[in-house]
Amino acid sequence: MIIIKPKIDFEVSVEAELTPELATKSVEEVKKFKVYYGNRIVELGELFEIRKEGDDKKLVFEGDFSRVKWIGTKMVDGEIVVKGSVGANCGAFMKGGRILVEGNADDWLGIEMAGGEIIVKGNAGNLIGCAYYGDAVGMTGGRIVIEGNAGNYIGEKMNGGEIIIKGNAGDFIGTEMRAGVIEIHGSCGFVGGDMRGGEIRIKGSFELLPTFRKTEKGWVGDVNVKGEGVIKQI
Amino acid sequence: MLWIKNGIVVDPKNKINLEKMDIFVKNGKIVPESEIKKGDCKVIDASGKLVVAGGVDMHAHIAGGKINTGRTMRPEEMRVVRNIAGKFRASVGRVLLTAPAIGYEYAKMGYTTSFEAATPPVSSLHTHEELDSIPMIDKAALPVFGNWHLVFKCIEEKNIEKLKALVAWAIERSKGFGVKVVNPGGVEAWMYGGNVKNLDDQVPGFGVTPREIITWLIRANEELGLPHSVHLHCNNLGVPGNYQTTIESIKLAKGFKNEKRQVLHVTHVQFNAYSGSSWRDFGSGAAEIAKLVNSMDNVTIDMGQPIFGHATAMTGDAPFQFTLHKLLGARWSNKDTEVETGAGIVPIGYLPNNPVHAVQWAIGLELGLLTESDKVALTTDYPNGGPFTEYPYIMAMLMSKKMREGELKKVHQYVQKATNLPSIDVEKTLYEVIHMTRSLPARILGLENKGHLGIGADADIAIYNLNPLETDFSNGFEKVYKAFKVAEFTIKGGEVIVRNGELLKEVYGRTFWVDARKKVDLEVVMQDVKNYFQYYSLQLSNYGVEERWLKKPERLEVV
Repeated sequence: MIIIKPKIDFEVSVEAELTPELATKSVEEVKKFKVYYGNRIVELGELFEIRKEGDDKKLVFEGDFSRVKWIGTKMVDGEIVVKGSVGANCGAFMKGGRILVEGNADDWLGIEMAGGEIIVKGNAGNLIGCAYYGDAVGMTGGRIVIEGNAGNYIGEKMNGGEIIIKGNAGDFIGTEMRAGVIEIHGSCGFVGGDMRGGEIRIKGSFELLPTFRKTEKGWVGDVNVKGEGVIKQI
Repeated sequence: MLWIKNGIVVDPKNKINLEKMDIFVKNGKIVPESEIKKGDCKVIDASGKLVVAGGVDMHAHIAGGKINTGRTMRPEEMRVVRNIAGKFRASVGRVLLTAPAIGYEYAKMGYTTSFEAATPPVSSLHTHEELDSIPMIDKAALPVFGNWHLVFKCIEEKNIEKLKALVAWAIERSKGFGVKVVNPGGVEAWMYGGNVKNLDDQVPGFGVTPREIITWLIRANEELGLPHSVHLHCNNLGVPGNYQTTIESIKLAKGFKNEKRQVLHVTHVQFNAYSGSSWRDFGSGAAEIAKLVNSMDNVTIDMGQPIFGHATAMTGDAPFQFTLHKLLGARWSNKDTEVETGAGIVPIGYLPNNPVHAVQWAIGLELGLLTESDKVALTTDYPNGGPFTEYPYIMAMLMSKKMREGELKKVHQYVQKATNLPSIDVEKTLYEVIHMTRSLPARILGLENKGHLGIGADADIAIYNLNPLETDFSNGFEKVYKAFKVAEFTIKGGEVIVRNGELLKEVYGRTFWVDARKKVDLEVVMQDVKNYFQYYSLQLSNYGVEERWLKKPERLEVV
């Protein structure tokens, strides 16, 4: 287990593609890991205090990491625990393993992820589990749980997996969604535009587009794209 | 001064085939041995290496509104980082490259000249701003004429003097190089939601037909004596059965003659060589087109070869782009450029296991193999067919039947019945392929100092780590491909800019433009131009590009 703590308050964002793979290396090697601080390449040890305790494949981030982007990118196994808030693109392209964020998460959480689990105890930003701009497919597998509220564009172009939001969410939920499940325990805005498949379950109130037809299963659409997606009140 | 020693030279323009010789460079030109002092020369030892002229790409979309809109609508293309800013500029792009990346990638491959294939005259300032930010290569732009209301008016009046004056004036104003024609009449019809289906359809609102537009523009172009001929993108592009339209269009060149070059260049013919009546019975019409082109001595074509992988369709052929968008369900951008032309952009990908894409891929190669090497230039119509960085793949394919057999196994087997590619035994020689990529495009464009290594030519030279005397081009295709992919040396204007695929020095090439004003009386058309400018969004005095605004302009005067 590697424990990482910021030494300073960051003036600009840090881009650090840190995965639990690091925990298999020695402290010296981890300190030399290259990250971007603004537009400069620096060593991890210059910005963070690093400690090692035991050999399990686990990273623990202590402190405020809300300006550190790309934590857990492309991780395949192991565990990451963030004991504060985390910056954008956390868990992007993730294939397996587990990320636990005890504070809030920023935008682009679990982008295009294919497997694994992300749990956020606080709130999350926009664009959870969707596709990067221009890409055809978003999240394809795995599970994202947000215990607080979330922003707009949740699960855009989603093609599998599960997103659960225990609070409220914003607009444009499951836009162009093809498969998978989005569950919102609170209320949200517009839902399911150009949806082709998959299921959106909502406990609270939401705004329905006029392009969905009522059936026994729930609201089915989006008829504009001959979609068979389902929106259900639970 | 530069002395390239003991290289094995292939220079088709000067009929040099695999001769061991030295080449001398002074002041950016190739000079005879007597003009240099050997002691002061930088010597490059090219023993056992292939020495050829720098490549000339005669048709690529490298600058202007279209490619820029393409970049905006395809952020996913911009995630491949090719170079981090430092000594050289930051360059990114997967297939759709940024301006610096275009220059760098051409140079790494040994190419030193590229022509932007279509720019609306009204937006030529943008095109030139972008061309000016492309390093390493020489360049020029071809303004489009085939759908301009003013052109239609001159043809309607059957006034050749007026048309010539308009062409000369517009090429000067746009600092362009020649006459590009895109889907003549069709883009104007698209402004009303339509298209033209054959050469005798009337263009809505005007008493002209595509046949008249092409013929009159060839006549004006030849009477002006411009360096390049009419550069035609045929009607019905991308429609099954369109090879007949292409054949009819090529026949329009009969009756015109030019001692130096062709009178009609038909571009990216692959997209215009489809037989059949729908995508279900779609096949190749390449053999018929190749036969016709071979039988005529005043027409040239280029391949427009698709490369499997990502690409972006971007042409001035706006109605075709809409059809493509409907066919693929992909993103689409459309443009109506004042009264001059239109354009459209759609992202595409060519997949080997898709029967249509496999046939398109085979048609491009058929055209390259069946047409005489003196009449077909090698292009991918970048970025419509794919990246220009894969030219070495096409070169290797043309030279090796074995490589084609291997590739044919990987693609959809519909090609076996829909095209002739599997039965073609032709293997082009290195001499022919070097001609198709250097001397031929330079001759088609009318660039006398490009594409060869004779005395007085521009010192644009590529040296490849390939000994052609010891290479078996039929079996050693992998080695050939790798050698052409990365130039050992690229020399631009006498300076070494690339060494083993690493950039050494950033240089900025010239922008060629053609001035034919002396051949005409501009006054015959100015009254019409002024009348039209009442409806333009800008004033006549603000129209066009001044020579002093360009970084390194080079005027080619027609007298």
